[in-house]
Amino acid sequence: MNVPPEKNDRELLRRYHHQGDVEARQRLIEQYLPLVRSLARRYSYRGEQLEDLVQVGCIGLIKAIDRFDVDRGVELTTYATPNIIGEIKRHFRDKGWAVRVPRGLQELNVRLSRLMEELTVQYERSPTIAELAKAADVEEEEVLEALETGQAYATLSLSAPSGGGDDGDDLDPLESLGEIEKEYEVSEDRALLAPGWKVLDDRERRILELRFFEGLTQSQIAQQVGISQMHVSRLIRRSLEKIREEIAVDASDLHPNA
Amino acid sequence: MREAITLTVPFERPYQGVVRLVLGGLAARLDLPYETLEDLQLAVETILGNDAYAVGHEVSVEVQVDGSILAVAVGPLEPGALEHDLEASDDVQGVALGRLLAATMGEHELEARDGQGWLRMRKPIPAGEPTA
Repeated sequence: MNVPPEKNDRELLRRYHHQGDVEARQRLIEQYLPLVRSLARRYSYRGEQLEDLVQVGCIGLIKAIDRFDVDRGVELTTYATPNIIGEIKRHFRDKGWAVRVPRGLQELNVRLSRLMEELTVQYERSPTIAELAKAADVEEEEVLEALETGQAYATLSLSAPSGGGDDGDDLDPLESLGEIEKEYEVSEDRALLAPGWKVLDDRERRILELRFFEGLTQSQIAQQVGISQMHVSRLIRRSLEKIREEIAVDASDLHPNA
Repeated sequence: MREAITLTVPFERPYQGVVRLVLGGLAARLDLPYETLEDLQLAVETILGNDAYAVGHEVSVEVQVDGSILAVAVGPLEPGALEHDLEASDDVQGVALGRLLAATMGEHELEARDGQGWLRMRKPIPAGEPTA
């Protein structure tokens, strides 16, 4: 007799959670490996080996199996999917460069970051692509390509404690890694209550607050926080993504049938 | 002078970079300040980065410049999901979609085209200073 997969899963989950049957846990992991592989494949364009991403995704699967509430009536697939994706995305953030970028473009990105600050002060406004190209003595297309490579870089390493430098240090030379972390004032209500904000550090919260709640421009924020405008841009994007992921994971925890 | 481009790409994450580059090229052509380009890219990326808004496999981004206004339309999009998110508060989304679009683009609205949803956004173009 063929047992529907969802019934089989439920039986295995009960055996694991109620009877401590680790063999049942192992069978669940094996059964859901195809799901992990399918989800990991979505991110394999980023220059990572698929098998590495599958391993990372398995961590998410195991967490989902271990945290699963058998009595909630949700399917394991529904619950596991955001956990697997979340783990893979965290892997990319923690690694630094999401894709491998030619050194020349990395270096141009560094120069452009510096020139951006200089020209913003000089013109008292954000420079245009043409102005950046002229200042850097490159073609406008190269400027655009270098700016695009900056988006491929996740700057989590730069907000790590000092001494944790890696290739990413080159991208924001205006920042001193040895500086004592400033304290950033954030509206207490937002920091404590707003969905997703709990996963942000103080600086990320402050930057989002300045940009979207107080209406400052990126260059104004850069001046206030003491980092480059391009770094502000990356932090804004990264922070928004972290919030979205956290909300997605929270939603799957709270509403497993969704 | 009106200038317009329309870019149609698969509604998939790898193509966000293509859209960013095209928007960057347009910004260079129009002599837009870097911050304006950033705002434009963030607004469009936020929409393209949400699978819930996808209708079918492709999405188009239309950009027009009319005098001092940058008009952007993205679609077709799933109108129910988009309308829900445009009306949702920060308490639900962390940074509400409506707030993000207001900060980056200014005016924004959901419009219907052939029974599908399109997001229309309008942003004033700051006047650039001639370089020395």
